[in-house]
Amino acid sequence: MAFSITSACIGCNACKLVCPKNAITNVSGQYTISAHRCTECVGSFADPQCASICPVETAIVNQDGLALNPPGSLTGLPDERKVIAMSCVSRVSRRESL
Amino acid sequence: MGGSCSTNDSVVELNPKMATHPCYSKQAHQYARIHLPVAPACNIQCNYCNRKFDCSNESRPGVVSKLLAPAQAAERYRKVKARIPETKVVGIAGPGDPLANPASTLATLKAVAKLEDDIHLCVSTNGLNLVDHAKALREVGVEHLTITINCIDADIGAQIYPWIYFDHRRLRGRQGAQTLIDRQLAGLKAAAEQGMLVKINTVLIPGINDHHVAAVASEVKRLGAALHNVMPLIAEAEHGTYFGLMGQRSPTEEELAKAREEAGVSMAQMSHCQQCRADAVGRLGQDCSDIDQDAEPAADLGHGRSSGLESERDPERRLVVAVASRHGQFIDQHFGHATRFHLYQLTEQGISDMPDREVSQYCSGEDTCTDDESSPVADAIAALKGVDMLLCSRLGIGPWQALEAEGVAPSTDFTGMTIKDALQGVQAKWVASLANSADYADDKIGEVI
Repeated sequence: MAFSITSACIGCNACKLVCPKNAITNVSGQYTISAHRCTECVGSFADPQCASICPVETAIVNQDGLALNPPGSLTGLPDERKVIAMSCVSRVSRRESL
Repeated sequence: MGGSCSTNDSVVELNPKMATHPCYSKQAHQYARIHLPVAPACNIQCNYCNRKFDCSNESRPGVVSKLLAPAQAAERYRKVKARIPETKVVGIAGPGDPLANPASTLATLKAVAKLEDDIHLCVSTNGLNLVDHAKALREVGVEHLTITINCIDADIGAQIYPWIYFDHRRLRGRQGAQTLIDRQLAGLKAAAEQGMLVKINTVLIPGINDHHVAAVASEVKRLGAALHNVMPLIAEAEHGTYFGLMGQRSPTEEELAKAREEAGVSMAQMSHCQQCRADAVGRLGQDCSDIDQDAEPAADLGHGRSSGLESERDPERRLVVAVASRHGQFIDQHFGHATRFHLYQLTEQGISDMPDREVSQYCSGEDTCTDDESSPVADAIAALKGVDMLLCSRLGIGPWQALEAEGVAPSTDFTGMTIKDALQGVQAKWVASLANSADYADDKIGEVI
């Protein structure tokens, strides 16, 4: 029983600050959840803390790979607009990698 | 901007704490500030912010900050201070919320205070956690505090903040907005009671809070705020913000002036805010944040954007400026929409036309033209080869960075001006900077227009 962090993560460090089990590590910008420490906040809080503060949809997933914050749940953007948003982001990141 | 500053001036005269702080007093522009990017996490979402990048209102779009640990941040301050002795202000503004990262923020402020007595420490926050940290901030020496309060009505707030994280839960809609507003106002009161000078930033969003700024001003006045800064919304689709993607427009100059006038009834207004990035360095209007944090003061820090300004590299002393303009009259075109650029050569003697450049003629070659790597933006960047500066009305984050990498300094500061006035403004600053660099040959920081 543990969550994990996907490549949608922007590395803002917020989850690491609120995790009650210190389960989240940052190795040069790559955030990961230690499966042996993560309790999914059961017994600590009503809601999983990392997923409650994470600003990016689909960045935190459960064991089945399902996003705790699915597309549209945080931004409220309708689908069509989100596609534009994602294409903007991928264009920028491509330029950054040049 | 250039609005009247008279109410502000009288406040500033009465308050010596403001007089040497460039964010508070227009007259303090000779003093420089540095923003230290030590606070990446945020505890609220604003519809004008895309967390992929620095907040586009608190921080100007263009460069994603390189995050610093507190010790690195103090070291960065030390190096900048050595290069820019007039650095009088150290601020923490993000790129998230400083008080969502209280340990890192307080450690940085403490470390800087240890290095320097004669410094203004300031923090810019969304206010959600302020009431819990007001005392600690005052104890480490923070005298200037900025809170962004866009509304005091939860129905309005629900249209600006989709969610907040508070008390271990994500609160949405009206509940989230009400909690944020209550906490902001309590935080403002606590900070004012601690003796801090509190400035309120309000992002003016047409159709959402434009009818409401007077109410905000009157309430924050009652709770002890000293200064009010009504700022225009920045919303561009390419920033990927909710407002940008949904076509929410920015206010016009007239709407901004009207809002400031209405808010000015109860609060002293400031109008010279530059909406700096969270990693800004230098005097207002002179961004030097490409100072290499690892470089020693003696190193050449003026690389990149200032290359066209260095007389030893360019004996003819000329500056090539490209302009994106729809009809050749005003600086009124988005970089990404430009199909041609008007080019001008600036010398100390005058301004002369150069041949226009068509974007389509500068296709970057077959390898890049065949698939999705090809884009009009890449062609536009190619068309600006050898240009020192670009004036346009708007510019996305990716192109801004790409242009800087090519040695072209983009500027949107002249938006709405006639090309002639803008070029004269650029020329005057540039000639002044040349004279300056002759006096201080080794001091290249601050030479960037």
